[in-house]
This record gives sequence, structure tokens and C-alpha cells, in this order.
Amino acid sequence: MTQPWITLRSEETLTLSAPAVVVKDLWFAYREGEWILRGVDLQIPAGGFWAIMGPSGAGKTTLMRILAGLLPFSRGQVLLLGHPLRGKPEPALRRLIGYIPQQLGLVRGLTALENVLLGSLARHDGWRTALGFFPRAEIERAMALLEMLDLADRAHEKVFRLSGGERQRVAIARTLMQDPQLILADEFVSDLDLPRAAQVLALVHRLVRERGLTVILNLHELQLVQEFADHVVILKEGRMVFESPAPDLTWPLFREIMEGEHEISSEITQELRR
Amino acid sequence: MSAKRLAVRGTWQSLEWRRWRELWFSLGLVALLAWLLNGMGFFEAGRLIQGTSNLARFVQEMFPPDVRILPTIAGALLETLQMAFAGTLLGFLLSFPLGVLGSRTLFPAGVVVIVRFLIAAIRTVPSLLWAVLMVIVVGLGPLAGTLALALYTVGYLAKLYAELFEAIDPEILEAMRGVGARRRHLIRFVLWPESANAILSQLLFMLEYNVRASTVLGLVGAGGIGFYMQAYLGMMAYSRLTTVLLAVLLLVISMDVLSAWLRRRYLLHP
Ligand SMILES: Nc1ncnc2c1ncn2[C@@H]1O[C@H](COP(=O)(O)OP(=O)(O)OP(=O)(O)O)[C@@H](O)[C@H]1O
Ligand SMILES: [Mg+2]
Repeated sequence: MTQPWITLRSEETLTLSAPAVVVKDLWFAYREGEWILRGVDLQIPAGGFWAIMGPSGAGKTTLMRILAGLLPFSRGQVLLLGHPLRGKPEPALRRLIGYIPQQLGLVRGLTALENVLLGSLARHDGWRTALGFFPRAEIERAMALLEMLDLADRAHEKVFRLSGGERQRVAIARTLMQDPQLILADEFVSDLDLPRAAQVLALVHRLVRERGLTVILNLHELQLVQEFADHVVILKEGRMVFESPAPDLTWPLFREIMEGEHEISSEITQELRR
Repeated sequence: MSAKRLAVRGTWQSLEWRRWRELWFSLGLVALLAWLLNGMGFFEAGRLIQGTSNLARFVQEMFPPDVRILPTIAGALLETLQMAFAGTLLGFLLSFPLGVLGSRTLFPAGVVVIVRFLIAAIRTVPSLLWAVLMVIVVGLGPLAGTLALALYTVGYLAKLYAELFEAIDPEILEAMRGVGARRRHLIRFVLWPESANAILSQLLFMLEYNVRASTVLGLVGAGGIGFYMQAYLGMMAYSRLTTVLLAVLLLVISMDVLSAWLRRRYLLHP
């Protein structure tokens, strides 16, 4: 539709062949000696829709923040879209990665439209935008995204007046506005009831498929994982204890992994792989 | 079953224990107050009676108020109001950037410590002393008063703003950094809108405060109605003083009404 789409599309062809995310032996601690992630290995193909599951405190959010380039890690290797991640990612890489935190991170005192426009800041980091003046084309794009997400009539409403589901969609619009190739979403729909969550996920699923994006989601509900994810990994006490195509993770198996010792479940993983 | 009952009794006991502690604490505070007042001679009967009769005579001479001076003081009253508005706005314009620089949200500890120290130093000086200093610097008149109010405002607002900015939800900042936003964007699109309500609310509070404060700055020659207060007090023209005080009261009340209206009108969201 407008200029930014075209320029970013050309970059995409450079990286589509490589896996979107490669994590090798990743270790991380917030405090010296207290390892939160203990040697995580992951390889996520471009275009995949992956779910990360695991009990509370397993390190899911931590992993997401590292992949989003918001948390420098101590040991291991991370490749995002073929670029190695060391310390703070360069702006060029950062803009290809959309991150939606658990509470969405929307600015409550701004309108839905303004929040969506913030997604374009990486492309316009000058003083004009800092004063609140965005290019016309970006405003039109933001409106188009809101319209697509059925939020056109809420565009000028401040975010604190929107419902949970509406906020969810504003966050999606903001991320799409950024035009990323990889979307990381932390407990993305945990504040919605199951039917609403399924609705939102179906929407995300359709959008990312249309655009060929890679998505990694932290999810709690097995039903949603089975319905929407291609692939699922389970993280427990900072280790990957299970990995399989999403349909293979059945309810009894899931319960056994979540409740049992992780040695047992890694046996199961190996069995499944064979 | 019995374990449960025991647990319930434990709850009761700890609750009552807390109530007793609160009670003793309150009594302790009252005792402290009495001790402090006693040290100042509050409980000496002779002094108290003398004081009351002095006050009665003073009040007698204050009434009825002499309204003939109203045209004389009207200009000074307006000047007071101008000083309060200009001082508050000037102080606000300085407070916002200082608050940003003084919050760990966006700036490294080194900068923050220096700025916080500066703010604390400014806050240490009371507004009347600032007025004296400013009279020395820029001479007698409302400019000195305005600058004094601005400085006092900075000491107070900059600290509050820095604290507001530090309390901003880190997830919002993280999401914005993830988008690729720079520091200037965070100031414009996160710090400001996320704390706009509190910023405006404290600004209004400061305006009310400065209207009251500016009425006394004239005592040291820094402009406004305070000049007349001092003059009439010095001349022992108490009925005129009453007029001045009533005018100030009216001014302060109208400021409060205006500010309450502004709050209702503009501070809607949580
Ligand atoms: N900023 C921090 N500083 C220190 N420790 C932290 C910090 N953030 C998280 N932790 C600790 O790291 C561990 C993993 O936290 P994390 O948020 O990654 O878990 P999670 O898998 O996302 O859990 P949940 O499902 O409850 O969101 C927890 O024990 C937590 O207490
Ligand atoms: Mg989490």
C-alpha cells in the first residue's frame, strides 16, 4: 500500500531461507548463580507458529525477553533471522522483531490510533514524530490496520476506556504496524476467557499466515495450543523438557509432564521423537 | 477440626494484638504532642489568659473592615494573582525536564544523583527566603516574587515528577523499546501521557499553594498584596488589614473553586 511495506519486504527475502530463531545452550541468571534458563536449545523455522508452555516460574517470560533483545544473556548463542544477538540488538534487527508483553504495554493515556502509530517509530525516529506528527501515509496505514481488526470506530478512544479484547487487538495492530518478521507474545491471551482467546488467536493465526510471519507465543491453555500452534515446547525449571508437533501433545501426556519429574518427560520426548 | 479452631483463634489474637499496638501508638503520639507544647509554655495558665485577652482586643479593633481601601488594593491583588500564575507555569516548565533527568527510568544513576541533589537543594530554601534572595538579585517588585515562586515550585514539582516517572509500568517502557523507540519518544509517548493526570493534578495543587504563598511575598518587597498587609499591620490600621485579609480569602476560595472545576473537567481517567 505504501512505501514502508515495500522496503521491508525486500529485506525479508534475505532471511527467509534461514530458521527464524536458533538458540544454542542458552544460560541466564538474574542474580549470580541462580540460573533461570539452563541450557535451552531451540530451532524455530521461518513461518512457524510455536507455543511455549510450562509451569509458573519456569522461565518463559525470561526467554521471551531475551529473544526480544531486552535482556542481555550470559552464556550461549542466539540467532534471530540469521543475525547473532549480542547485547543490545541493532535498530535494523530490532524493528523486525515484534514483542507483546503480558500486560500488552499499551500507553493507557493515548488513543488506540496513537498507540498503533507508535509501532512505526522505528521507521521515523526523528524529532517530528517526537512532537507527535506522523507522516500521513503512516496514519492511513494505522487506520487500515484498525479497520481490519474491527476497531475503526474505537480509533480515537483512549486505551483505558477499551475492553480487554479491544486492547488485545490494539496491541496486535501496533505490532503489525512495526512490520516485523518475528512476533513474540508473552501469555498473549491469558486475560481473556476461552472463546475470546480463541477468537483473537484465530485472527493472529490468519494474519501471520497471510504475511508469512514467524510467531512464538507463551500459552497456558492446552486447547488453544492444540487448535492453533504447529509446534509446542515445554519449559520446566529453565530446561526444555518436551518438544513436539502440537497435535502430539495430548491432555494426559501434558498432565504427566507438568506434574512429573522432568527426567521422565525427557524420556517421553525421546520416545516421541523415535 | 480442632486445628482449624486453633488457627481461627490465632487469627483473632493477632488481630487484637494489632489493634492494641495501634492504640498504644496513638496514645504515644498524643503524649509526645503534650510534651512538645509544654516545652513551649502552652500549659502556663497566665500566658494563655493574657494571650486570649490580647487576641480579643485585636479582633475588636479589626471590625468593621474598612472597605474604602478596596480600589487601592485591587491592583496589588491582581499583581499577586499574576505572580502566582507566572511563577507556577515557569516552575512547571523547569520541573518537567528536571523530573525526567532526575528519574532512573531514562537516565543513568550518575545524572540522576546530581539532578536529585540539585532539586533537594532548591527545595531546602523556603519561598520567603527565595523572595529575599530574588529581591537582592532583580530588585524590588513582582519579578522577584515570580522568580521566587518558580524556584519553590521547581523544588517541589521536580521531585514529585521524578517519582511519578519512576513509578511508570516497566512493561510499557519495555514494549516501546521493543518497538525501537528512542528516549525522546519515551518522554513524549510514555512519560507524559502515562502521568499526565498526576502532573496536572499536582500542578493545580501548586497553583493553589502559590496563590496563598504569593500573598505574603510582599512582606519582603517582592510584589503583590503582601506589601499592604505589612503596611497596615505596621500602622496598626487593623480595620484596613481586615479588608486585605478578606480580599485574600476571597481570592484563595475562588482559586480553589476554579481548580476543583478544572479537575472535574479535565481529570477524568484513572
Ligand atoms: N527481574 C527479575 N529479577 C530477578 N528474578 C526474576 C526477575 N524476573 C523473573 N525472575 C525470576 O525468574 C524465574 C522465572 O521467571 P519468569 O517470569 O521467566 O517465569 P514464567 O515462566 O514466565 O512464569 P509465569 O508463567 O508465572 O509467567 C522466577 O523464579 C522469577 O522469580
Ligand atoms: Mg511469565
